[in-house]
Amino acid sequence: MSLSQAAIEVTVVGGYLGAGKTTLMNHILTESKDPVAVLINDFGDINIDSELIQSVDGNSIALTNGCICCSLVDGYVSALEELRCREPRPKRIIVEASGVADPASVAAYGHAPGFYLNAVVVMVDGANVMEQLNDSLVAQTVAVQIATADLIALNKKDLLSDFTTVRNELKKLNAEALITDCTNSEIDLDLLFGSEVVTKAAVSVEMNQFDSRSHTSSDPISRQALTEWIERLPDEVQRAKGVLRLDEEPEIPMVFQLVGRRWNLRALAERKNPPLGNQIVVVGPKGLVPEDWDVGLR
Amino acid sequence: MNGEPIKLFVAKKIVTMDPATPTATAIAVQGDRIVGIGDSEDPELRKAAQIDDRFSQHILLPGFVEAHAHVMSGGLWEFPYVGFYERVDPTGRIWKGCGDIESVVERLVEYEEQMGDPTQTLIAWGLDPIFLEGDRLSASHLDQVSRTRPIFVFHASGHLATVNSEMMLKSGIDRHSPTPGVVRDGDGEPNGELQEPAAMSLALEGLSSIGKAIMSTEAKWNFGYEARNCGVTTVADLGTTRLALEGQLEAWREVTDEKNYPVRVVVAFGHYDSGASPTDIDALAGLAVRLRNEEETAKLRFGIVKLILDGSIQGFTARLSPPHYFDPPAGHQGNGLWLIPPEQMPKIVASYHKAGLTVHCHCNGDEASEVFIEAVEKALAEHPRDDHRHTVQHSQLTTAKQYKKMASLGMNANIFSNHIFYWGDQHAEITVGPHRAASMDACATAERENVKFSIHSDAPITPMSQLHTIWCAVNRQTASGKILGPGERIGIHKALEASTIDAAHQLRLDDEIGSLQVGKLADFTVLEADPYEVKPDKLKEIPVWGTVVGGVVHQAASD
Ligand SMILES: [Zn+2]
Ligand SMILES: [Zn+2]
Repeated sequence: MSLSQAAIEVTVVGGYLGAGKTTLMNHILTESKDPVAVLINDFGDINIDSELIQSVDGNSIALTNGCICCSLVDGYVSALEELRCREPRPKRIIVEASGVADPASVAAYGHAPGFYLNAVVVMVDGANVMEQLNDSLVAQTVAVQIATADLIALNKKDLLSDFTTVRNELKKLNAEALITDCTNSEIDLDLLFGSEVVTKAAVSVEMNQFDSRSHTSSDPISRQALTEWIERLPDEVQRAKGVLRLDEEPEIPMVFQLVGRRWNLRALAERKNPPLGNQIVVVGPKGLVPEDWDVGLR
Repeated sequence: MNGEPIKLFVAKKIVTMDPATPTATAIAVQGDRIVGIGDSEDPELRKAAQIDDRFSQHILLPGFVEAHAHVMSGGLWEFPYVGFYERVDPTGRIWKGCGDIESVVERLVEYEEQMGDPTQTLIAWGLDPIFLEGDRLSASHLDQVSRTRPIFVFHASGHLATVNSEMMLKSGIDRHSPTPGVVRDGDGEPNGELQEPAAMSLALEGLSSIGKAIMSTEAKWNFGYEARNCGVTTVADLGTTRLALEGQLEAWREVTDEKNYPVRVVVAFGHYDSGASPTDIDALAGLAVRLRNEEETAKLRFGIVKLILDGSIQGFTARLSPPHYFDPPAGHQGNGLWLIPPEQMPKIVASYHKAGLTVHCHCNGDEASEVFIEAVEKALAEHPRDDHRHTVQHSQLTTAKQYKKMASLGMNANIFSNHIFYWGDQHAEITVGPHRAASMDACATAERENVKFSIHSDAPITPMSQLHTIWCAVNRQTASGKILGPGERIGIHKALEASTIDAAHQLRLDDEIGSLQVGKLADFTVLEADPYEVKPDKLKEIPVWGTVVGGVVHQAASD
């Protein structure tokens, strides 16, 4: 998608201490062939993996987590500024929120000029989440993180004895997000990024369970047609994203994101050289996305 | 020191905070040290000394120690102040409070007229909408000041800013701006208010100008002048300076080495601000130890590590035990936020504790105090250590039971007494309710439970003025004039101890400052009236003549 020429895609990874955020970042760095930069929160998991991340390439920047009254232009602003000026610009960045952060406050930076937000992924520690949700000290922190997610990755599936109970609990906290389960934070990158991701050769067979399909058109779409199309999307479509024009204000490029049943449509902050027309990609399990998925858009 | 002339300061009264000799009328100084103290007629003292009687009508005390402020307080004075409460700037000029939006606009118009370059951004600070009735400040008000010059008004909370139309235009903020926190009017147009850092950072020029001002050399000088003007001779910059960054140590060194720089500064090491790898707390501790062991000078001190564990009570982000908040805003989650995962605290505290450092941890809520106290208890069990002086900072809701535990663990507290005046009414009515508010900032409980404590302003959160902070701890009077929890009032002597010797204790400087004794540094606060003699409710009105720091006299600036 040519959106990435106008802006850098931001994916925020949140989740409580020990949920597997760092492992996910490593997984992405290992699997993705596209250049990815990662922003690591220096306040997150105290984990030897962060050293591994930092040694992968020169594309990681440690964030500092100063309180606003201490360092006004905080770590995020200066790190994003640095990435914006980098040559060549990375196509994607992954930002790790601290283990106690509300990922929404980090995701807010993903709308700065030069960037657009892909999704908020929240890692959930399958082995400990029920305990965390009953711990008066951390329950609210964990619940807010889960409620903020677009994509919930129920990690450590192998250590989980009662999968259904946990899944139902997550559903209670966030009915609309897409819930996927994994071990070792191995999420399918197509699902994570909502589009076809060029992966390195060493991809496990298990990873390619998803198909993606795309739609391009040139005429602006009406808001109503878009909403109706979303409502009628088959359940198999777990992920959709794109950039499009609405007929009410066709000069404004709009970024569309859908994860599970959560979706939003926001203007692209940077409007220099924006992509033209409408480009939408959907992702669903292999062979299950119907041919006519985009009828409503045509 | 030997061979230098001895100066004998004669005063109306000298309060020493040394129980052996509680008062005196003359104090002999050689170089930067006290060499004698006693009666002004004592021939032994007068012998071979130059008599300096400029303080013969004044009261001398051990120099006040403000153990929790931020150098940012000095930096903000690069810009005009538009807050609700009156504030004195480093030059001694009194900035009257802006009681409504009209006076905010009026002040900005006045300031704008004097600005030369018509394209230069006008930045102002200190706005607190909680106190202003009627409309909220918006771009339309600021457009009355200028439509051509960008304007950025930074709120007192540090979480919000209001900008004018020109700033929005320049920053690309319009009705389509996708960033959450760009507040809109009924028609969907942005109204100039930017909430939280991500939205504020869209007006990057405004925010980064403030950031630069805070870390500037002028900020450090102004911080020193603010301290001097209120009689403070040692001040802690509690975790603003990013010591791990290049140039920061040198910048402080340059300023504090100047003979005219009027205050000793304890620059705390901010754990969260290190920029280092998270695996390396021990390395961070090593850096903090190295600063303390190798880089200290007469007026620049280290050895304190600052942690921030929760948010603020007035921002509904402090971690409280049940029943949590009294009347929180709609949509509030119930409790506040952690800034460090509670499970990580034992490990973090233990690293610094093992290294021999003193940990000062921001805990506004009692649940935060509890997590910190438990972390200290664990660290002590694993690494027994005498006299660590780990300190609960703010300690606003710390309970009697927690103080008891702190006493048994050898912990200290630094209590945010200024809150009683500035937000006491809001605490009673909105944040924690009348019962809990009555036992907030519980100095008398700390005293009863034998915890050494200090009292602070957290400048710039509230203005630095030790006599005002003392007045708060002694009177517990809110802005509306109510007495909040009279049982937690303390006596003037205790409040003075909290502002001198006990504050020095928690900064680990009590062997050098905090009381007037032979061999200690010649740091004095010079007052024009005796705090033991004035009525308690008049304490904050005592004029401050100035200070003496290491024998050097610094007169306060006055308007
Ligand atoms: Zn604090
Ligand atoms: Zn502070």
